[in-house]
Amino acid sequence: MAKSTTTTTSTTAKDVQALFQTLRSSYAATPTNLKIIDLYVVFAIFTALIQVVYMAFVGSFPFNSFLSGVLSCVGTAVLAVCLRIQVNKENKEFKDLAPERAFADFVLCNLVLHLVIMNFLG
Amino acid sequence: MGGSPNQPSPTPSAANVSIKPDTLFSGFSLKNLKLKTKQQELLIRVSILCLVYVLAFITRLFSVLRYESMIHEFDPYFNYRTTLFLTEKGFYEFWNWFDSESWYPLGRIIGGTLYPGLMVTASLIYWTLRFLRFAVHIREVCVLTAPFFASNTTIVAYFFGKEIWDSGAGLVAAALIAICPGYISRSVAGSYDNEGVAIFALLLTFYLFVKAVKTGSLSWGLASALGYFYMVSAWGGYVFIINLIPLYVLVLLITGRYSMRLYVAYNSMYVLGSLLAMQIQFVGFQHVQSGEHMAAMGVFFLMQVFYFLGWVKHLLSDSKLFQVFLRFTVTCSIGLGALALVGGMASGYISPWTGRFYSLLDPTYAKDFIPIIASVSEHQPTAWSSFMFDFHILLILFPAGLYFCFKKLSDTTIFIVMYGLTSMYFASVMVRLILVATPAVCLISAVAVSATIKNLTLLIRTKSKTQQTGSSKATGSTKASSKTSLDQSPPFGRNVAAALLLGAFYLLSKYVTHCTWVTSEAYSSPSIVLAARGAHGGRVIFDDYREAYFWLRQNTPPDAKVMSWWDYGYQITAMGNRTVIVDNNTWNNTHIATVGRAMSSYEDEAYEIMRSLDVDYVLVVFGGVTGYSSDDINKFLWMVRIGGGVFPVIKEPDYLVNGEYRVDKGAAPKMLNCLMYKLSYYRFGELTTEYGKPPGYDRARGVEIGNKDVKLEHLEEAFTTSNWIVRIYKVKPPSNRL
Amino acid sequence: MAKLSIFLTFISLLPLLCYSFSPENPTDRKILVLLDNAAIKSSHSIFFKSLQTRGFKLDFKLADDPNLTLQRYGRYLYDALILFSPSTKRFGGSLDFAAILEFVDSGHDLIVAADASASDLIRNIATECGVDFDEDSAARVIDHTSYAVSETEGDHTVIAADDFIQSNAILGNKKIEASSSLWIGHTLNAANNLVLKVLSASPSAYSANPEIKLSSPPSLTGSAISLVSVAQARNNARILISGSLDLFSNRLFRSGVQKAGRSTKHEKSGNEQFVTELSKWVFHERGHLKAVNVRHHKVGETTEPAIYRINDNLEYSIEIYEWSGVSWEPYVADDVQVQFYMMSPYVLKTLSTDKKGLYSTSFRVPDVYGVFQFKVEYQRLGYTTLSLSNQIPVRPFRHNEYERFLPAAFPYYGASFSTMAGFFVFTIVYLYNK
Repeated sequence: MAKSTTTTTSTTAKDVQALFQTLRSSYAATPTNLKIIDLYVVFAIFTALIQVVYMAFVGSFPFNSFLSGVLSCVGTAVLAVCLRIQVNKENKEFKDLAPERAFADFVLCNLVLHLVIMNFLG
Repeated sequence: MGGSPNQPSPTPSAANVSIKPDTLFSGFSLKNLKLKTKQQELLIRVSILCLVYVLAFITRLFSVLRYESMIHEFDPYFNYRTTLFLTEKGFYEFWNWFDSESWYPLGRIIGGTLYPGLMVTASLIYWTLRFLRFAVHIREVCVLTAPFFASNTTIVAYFFGKEIWDSGAGLVAAALIAICPGYISRSVAGSYDNEGVAIFALLLTFYLFVKAVKTGSLSWGLASALGYFYMVSAWGGYVFIINLIPLYVLVLLITGRYSMRLYVAYNSMYVLGSLLAMQIQFVGFQHVQSGEHMAAMGVFFLMQVFYFLGWVKHLLSDSKLFQVFLRFTVTCSIGLGALALVGGMASGYISPWTGRFYSLLDPTYAKDFIPIIASVSEHQPTAWSSFMFDFHILLILFPAGLYFCFKKLSDTTIFIVMYGLTSMYFASVMVRLILVATPAVCLISAVAVSATIKNLTLLIRTKSKTQQTGSSKATGSTKASSKTSLDQSPPFGRNVAAALLLGAFYLLSKYVTHCTWVTSEAYSSPSIVLAARGAHGGRVIFDDYREAYFWLRQNTPPDAKVMSWWDYGYQITAMGNRTVIVDNNTWNNTHIATVGRAMSSYEDEAYEIMRSLDVDYVLVVFGGVTGYSSDDINKFLWMVRIGGGVFPVIKEPDYLVNGEYRVDKGAAPKMLNCLMYKLSYYRFGELTTEYGKPPGYDRARGVEIGNKDVKLEHLEEAFTTSNWIVRIYKVKPPSNRL
Repeated sequence: MAKLSIFLTFISLLPLLCYSFSPENPTDRKILVLLDNAAIKSSHSIFFKSLQTRGFKLDFKLADDPNLTLQRYGRYLYDALILFSPSTKRFGGSLDFAAILEFVDSGHDLIVAADASASDLIRNIATECGVDFDEDSAARVIDHTSYAVSETEGDHTVIAADDFIQSNAILGNKKIEASSSLWIGHTLNAANNLVLKVLSASPSAYSANPEIKLSSPPSLTGSAISLVSVAQARNNARILISGSLDLFSNRLFRSGVQKAGRSTKHEKSGNEQFVTELSKWVFHERGHLKAVNVRHHKVGETTEPAIYRINDNLEYSIEIYEWSGVSWEPYVADDVQVQFYMMSPYVLKTLSTDKKGLYSTSFRVPDVYGVFQFKVEYQRLGYTTLSLSNQIPVRPFRHNEYERFLPAAFPYYGASFSTMAGFFVFTIVYLYNK
């Protein structure tokens, strides 16, 4: 039993490395506008994580402010991912959706999101 | 065809309906008005929808025609009062309203404990009409809001049916839902209750979501989030949506129908919808804290995992690596998710399912633990007769429609099947929820009806077509198509098809007569005004409730406090304009139990309780003279149970004799001397109610009462209505010299 | 024109002619005195004289006078009633048991004197007021240790009692000597907490028929026997029930008293002083309070709001005056309390006075919303009960009255604004990216 475990661990470690290599190389091939969107998503998630960590330290007293902060980050991340899906030319389901239309929808949703966040914040 | 080139080609026979485009505007007389098929179809559809719209509205107007334009029942009076407040004082006052006239002396924050959708909708309609210079009273707007929204629901049902199946099914769905008694019961004119607007919002949300899943567009997702917001603002039953949609997504994921469109639709709807929903004060933070909403959050995270995995799979072309990755991620996420859920529930941060919704999963829960929920008549399990009464032939068409949906499985049909099945389960647990099941049943039945009739008519038309087109050029294609349709359709002849069609129409017409009869007889009673047939067949109206409330309004000091059982609280505050101790909101069980204890105690103890609550008047409802059976003596055991649930000094067996509830000579002594008995039967022992029966014969219970000599020491009779239905007593101040 | 002005002045003077009872002037003015026989008028003349010198108008009538009436056309003709008619079985005219009780319940005062010949009617009136006379109509209070020395040896029915109630309001400031008379004993109804014993018998007294031998132990014994009782009803009507009519007589006013076993003989018994002080109290010349001008407002404002908010600071003030017999004087005490009450007192504060009758305090509304009452319940021995309650609702915060812009929440504000800025920047970058 021990033998197979060691072999599996070694294979797992090698697999993980190979995994990351493949990921990095194929990611480099994505178009720029998608990379911009990805950056935006990472920024939003990062902000959300900061807030969660802050909340873990300080407590959740103005809970509505905490929720509005976190949800605005989560909301922007999710909407950006939706935009990415719709704009990505490799998605066959959306091939007849004009990217301008997708972007317009995105802007509209974000407007509603930020309006609600403003109401929820204070 | 032969013939001179100057002559126009001979007009084909009636079976051939395609017309050449250049003859479109050739004639101006109606006979020559030839429209393209598409336009004909559009005309027929629009006119049918218009008729259905009007029908849905006018079939709900029975009680307005028979009695008057007034608000029915109990809860609508509270909604009416709040709407009145909103129109008079404006939105900010309404949002911050603290009502000191109900639940004395605790008061009630109305702005934070109601669903404002209905009131805001009615106020908007009112302000719009006022802006257009129609001088309507807010009460008329309130009375007619529910039929108006029922009409709108038929339009939404049409579009929904079109999404699921085709426009024919949509039309049938609209027609069915316009007159279905399950929906009419809660949306009749005068029933100004949340459900009237909520069912419209429910169907609209579902339609928009299904459209979003179908198209994968962000704007449809946003629209469904806004529809969800409207639903949350309108009714507490929004929990059904926020659980059905995740369940639907889960089913799609399990059946391998995960797609990007689903991701876009669900995520936009969930994030925006939750955020919007939390703006309603009454809902507050429940979307992230309550156990009832955790399914949606779980599915949200699951979707992220699915998307992430899909993206990684797309990036990695090597499947072996992907398997590794998959194993790793899946175990991680499941572990984390389970940990979070268990941690949340164990630490109490995520609140468990509240009693109202838990009793849907476990129907016996409320009866044992929460008598207030169990005592509401609408919360009882549904009997088959109720199903038949409310759905009629739709009950039979529902399984047929399910069959058709299963035959043509797609994202949308899966949704409607799930909606139908879950709502039917809940409808069988609680009578009140037949309302939620009605749109699903109507839609699925519409699918069955539409598909069947389409097949039958196709059969009829194909048969006649094959006879006619034997000599036409297009023989080959039509023959082939007719052959295929013949292969698919059942092998009976045209006559049988015609007979079946006639049978279907007969069934539908029976449905219509049943629905109209049910609406007219069963669901159009205002329940605040009672009607009966007199001895000579003429109609006798009992308007005792309003008589009593107006007496209160005009003959008591403005700050008088009235104690009654909680059923009548809303009506007393709305029509009598007096402070009440408990009302239909039933948010404070201890307060209600105090009132229940006062009603079940002897007069001296009850007097102490009433003095501590500053009660000035006591109101009881008594049906012994008229035979009205929803009076307080029949509800008395619930008062005992609820009072005894908090104050163990009240014991239910004290009021029963051998487990039986009696008010005649053999009744328990505590029953014969408790306050409720005394107030109901004060001076009743001298009254002869029925020919041939002794005085003091209680017509509602059918017995002669046991204690006819009722003497009141601390209360005095203030008012008894003309048919003795409502009796009001004044609490005397303590004796001067003792 | 001249006639009109004369007429007008005459009309304007009319109000001055009415000097009946009014809340502004609580001392009773017109008193109806019912007598068994006309001899009582002369035998009790000192008492009546003292009442008249204090400004009361007395109307003497026989108890069975057929023209007796207390009210005409719904208005009462008298402000108080003195029943010196213990043996009357039925009153004449429109007066009866229920009428007398209604008289008291409408806020008028009553003095009832009973003696050995007390009829059932008088006994029932006393019972309705919370006092139970001994059922045996021939019983007297007998005390073998505190009797008054009299000529007849062995007559221990004339009791000298000095166990007075300790109350300056009821009995005045000066010490009263022993009071002696022939008494009919009575006890207080235990369930009634409005009656008081003004003069109780000594612990060795008992109530029995002095003519016959005792067959069973007497029912009324010791200091439970009350010789003179008063009751103050909830509407502040005052009732005096005396177990002796002779207490008010001239003879006992003038006579001296010597308690058995004591050597001192007082020249004058305390009867006159006792009765005078007591009558002052019964007729509201003393111990009558009124509370007016209840005001409450938020600190810093002067108008009274219709609704308070939780955590508001408010001030409450009330003015209490005491009737001195001729005018309203400020009442000075340090134990008047106000409760902010909703099913139980959330705030209980003692009001501080400025010695001119104004009592005020300020406190903070508790953190609970609901319908509260400002309750002042002031019950002191011998004083009228002050029972005021003003209802006022207390509302929670409005949606814009909560704390805003909390420093603890700055990261969240920052995050929300940063996402908005990020969105803006993102759109620009995305749109203009080639």
